[in-house]
Amino acid sequence: MNREHLRGLFSAKSARVNTNKGEEYYNSLYKRCKDRLEELKKLKPVNNVDIMEVLEDEGINRRDFLKWASAMTATLMLPASFTPLVAEAAEVMNRVPVIWIELQDCAGNSEALLRSDGPKVDEIILDIISLEFHETLMAAAGHQAEEQLEDAMHHFKGKYLLFVEGAIPLANGGVYGTIGASGETFEEHLHRVAKDAAAIVAVGTCATFGGVPAAAPNPTGAVGVMDIVKGKPIVNIPACPANPANMVGVILHYVLTGQIPELDSLLRPKFAFGYRIHDNCERRAHFDAGEFVEEWGDVGAENNFCLYKVGCKGPMTFNNCSIIRYNEAVNWPIGAGHGCIGCSEPDFWDKYAYERPMADANIKAPTGGVEKTVDEFGLGLLTAAAVGIGIHAAFSAVAGKKETCDIEEGDK
Amino acid sequence: MKTSRESYVRIKRMTPFMRVNHWVVAISMIGAIATGLYIGHPYYQTFIAEPAVDKYVMAWNRWVHFILAIIFDVSSIVLAYLYFFSRFEKPYKKLIPNSKNIKEFIEVVKNLLTFNRVKRFDSSHADSFHVVYFTIFHLMLAWMLLTGLQLYVHGLASGESSIGRWWPWMLHLVTDWTIAATGGTLMDVRISHHMTMYFIIVWIMFHIYYVVWRTIFWREGDISIVFGGYKFKRKRTA
Repeated sequence: MNREHLRGLFSAKSARVNTNKGEEYYNSLYKRCKDRLEELKKLKPVNNVDIMEVLEDEGINRRDFLKWASAMTATLMLPASFTPLVAEAAEVMNRVPVIWIELQDCAGNSEALLRSDGPKVDEIILDIISLEFHETLMAAAGHQAEEQLEDAMHHFKGKYLLFVEGAIPLANGGVYGTIGASGETFEEHLHRVAKDAAAIVAVGTCATFGGVPAAAPNPTGAVGVMDIVKGKPIVNIPACPANPANMVGVILHYVLTGQIPELDSLLRPKFAFGYRIHDNCERRAHFDAGEFVEEWGDVGAENNFCLYKVGCKGPMTFNNCSIIRYNEAVNWPIGAGHGCIGCSEPDFWDKYAYERPMADANIKAPTGGVEKTVDEFGLGLLTAAAVGIGIHAAFSAVAGKKETCDIEEGDK
Repeated sequence: MKTSRESYVRIKRMTPFMRVNHWVVAISMIGAIATGLYIGHPYYQTFIAEPAVDKYVMAWNRWVHFILAIIFDVSSIVLAYLYFFSRFEKPYKKLIPNSKNIKEFIEVVKNLLTFNRVKRFDSSHADSFHVVYFTIFHLMLAWMLLTGLQLYVHGLASGESSIGRWWPWMLHLVTDWTIAATGGTLMDVRISHHMTMYFIIVWIMFHIYYVVWRTIFWREGDISIVFGGYKFKRKRTA
């Protein structure tokens, strides 16, 4: 709550997803991207990896790569004519240095792009970007690792993209998360590395909104990156884990245009979070028909009915996983028969992920104490009102005074 | 009851338009609660053997809910206008917290709490307690309107609608603040929308009870106001 970006109460301007900005706009954008790619090509690659070679080693041919490029062009909501540029951008992605820091989290976002069974183009590209520093992946440790971070920050000052994974614990002076021999807190660490970044990409719901560590009662005082880092361009890619396709999308957009993509009021790229899951869901027809899975494994579940009654939060969740899915469009939670838990929305663990419709879920009272469903609370309210009315009616019947003829005194 | 010493004066309290409006709102309310509860938690099942295309149950529930909301909204806007510009009675005059209205408000509450043993106000016309009570109702309706439209506009994510871009644009402009006001997430808006329904039901319970109670104890035919438009006040003819 009280997030700076929610306090901008009137976010109307940012709500629209404009997928057609006109020929003139795209022509000038095309030229700008072309020029930028030329510039990047002149730069010395930060690492000496040739993406086409790596892709071929992984068994992905040029044709597959171009198919991926056209899909990625569509994901970024660019016209099809941009496909060759997107392919070129992918090839020069190793000119943009990336520093990846990990804070209070489960490393699930790193896992999402590393541990895929048979890596797809998204994962491979993330694997070979110029990752200058990534605590979980690098061989170095301790002072050596810190030195490497210093080197990277110094060498690519003002140029590197900073990827942040994990929340920042602020309670008790930040003692819940420290890093390095000096015992630097996560907050100090983030501020230091963020200072010279070109832009910050918060990956996963922990880094964007605090996520699971920030769930009630939030013992460590966890917050997201945008809550404490000011004056830097920030892109949020929430979801648990963030979809590698959206990470690549943001990097590609940056490589292509030198800018961060258009964002919504929660700083999420509109190309990925502009649409509601519910509106692109393959089970939507069953929702409208009133056909619901009543319990796990029933006839409705066998018939792929809507999962709303077993807690699907698709109607309140904005994400593109119903369109691009996960693992190169293999599947996604609802496709696998489980409802959406709203993992790309703020406070999702407390307010979305309770496996039943909101009407049946225990909601914390604003005081933080009693947990009751809205309906239980409401019925309690109705009962109290009925009891009050009953008592009043009974007393009125026993002790009330019915009007006789004289009411004139009331007029004085 | 009428004795030879008494006669009744007929007092007009509601115009035909006000009465029609009252019943439209009452029926809409029942419909909105029935369909709203279904949307929040579908409480009956559709025939599983029928093909989806024949059923459309959730969609009809939502359609009815939205249509009722529109009727509500229009009626609320008209009533808001009448609060200030009615040629019949201007309720806003009873909302101004001046000493006369505050005194009247307290007297009406006293009358209720003493089971009509104390009655020191003119019960022939709308009193300030009555007007305040109805204003609370209309504020709750306005809140339902704003939170409901916020939930509705999520489905217009593209920024397009069948009646143009201005519609979702306006809905965002007018209702986005409810997200921050309820706690920061889309779900908080939903919780608030659902919770407010119960406060409205409580409001209705007391409203009906109070009208019946007044009819029984004041003996001025209050309940006929909403049907015939008039209530009656005794007049001593001596």
